[in-house]
Amino acid sequence: VSAHADAGHAHAAHPPVAHQSSRIDARMLGMLLFIASEIMLFGSFFTAYFFIRVVNHQPWPPAQFHLPVYVAFINTCILVTSSFTIHWALQAIKRGSRAGLQAGLALTFLMGLTFLLTQILEYARIGFTPHDQAFGTVFFCLTGLHGAHVFVGLTILAAMAARAFRGHFSPEEHHGVEIGGIYWHFVDVMWIVVFTTIYIL
Amino acid sequence: VQNPLRSEAAAFRFLLLTIGYFALIALAAWINTWLGVAVFVLLTALIVYRLTRRS
Repeated sequence: VSAHADAGHAHAAHPPVAHQSSRIDARMLGMLLFIASEIMLFGSFFTAYFFIRVVNHQPWPPAQFHLPVYVAFINTCILVTSSFTIHWALQAIKRGSRAGLQAGLALTFLMGLTFLLTQILEYARIGFTPHDQAFGTVFFCLTGLHGAHVFVGLTILAAMAARAFRGHFSPEEHHGVEIGGIYWHFVDVMWIVVFTTIYIL
Repeated sequence: VQNPLRSEAAAFRFLLLTIGYFALIALAAWINTWLGVAVFVLLTALIVYRLTRRS
């Protein structure tokens, strides 16, 4: 009876391991499903963009819209560099370098913040608003949607950096950095698509 | 077809490929619009061919 009671107590203290029906880790699966839904969301915005562009029988973008291509290009370089630093951060913790992880995450956060602040400043000086024709609406919707994703990414990065500076993560356990890194690379990929289609092509 | 976001390293590689893909299209389109379209079709066909060959 005593052994049975002990077993019951142990069971109460430690919940049983959750049943796992997938080969993919549940946390990774959650992130992949989230990214899949985000791709569909971006897809709907791009559909609107290309529809407006195709039905518009004038030069694109319309003559009165002047996009800050050089600033956006510098911003693109900053965001792409931040993907290198988060990759470096993960490689560092895999090698057991906590300082490398902390530096990589801090640099990634700072570059992401620089990107977002530059974009906000550009919104203030761009010379048109979301109310100015369909182009103005779709421009602010697409770049704003991406900006919102950068903000979410920065929140994740802040949580990862806080954990890294508190001594979390190790060469064996760094799943939090891995999943956050995947999300950050996804945000970068989406920006490459947004930048190329809106600013360049 | 392998998931390009199965790990951080795979996602990083996917990002680099995306940059190369769009850089080539943008460069070709800058030279000539129809050259950009041709590069887009060529690269997309190449990617589809590689993906279908692998699976």
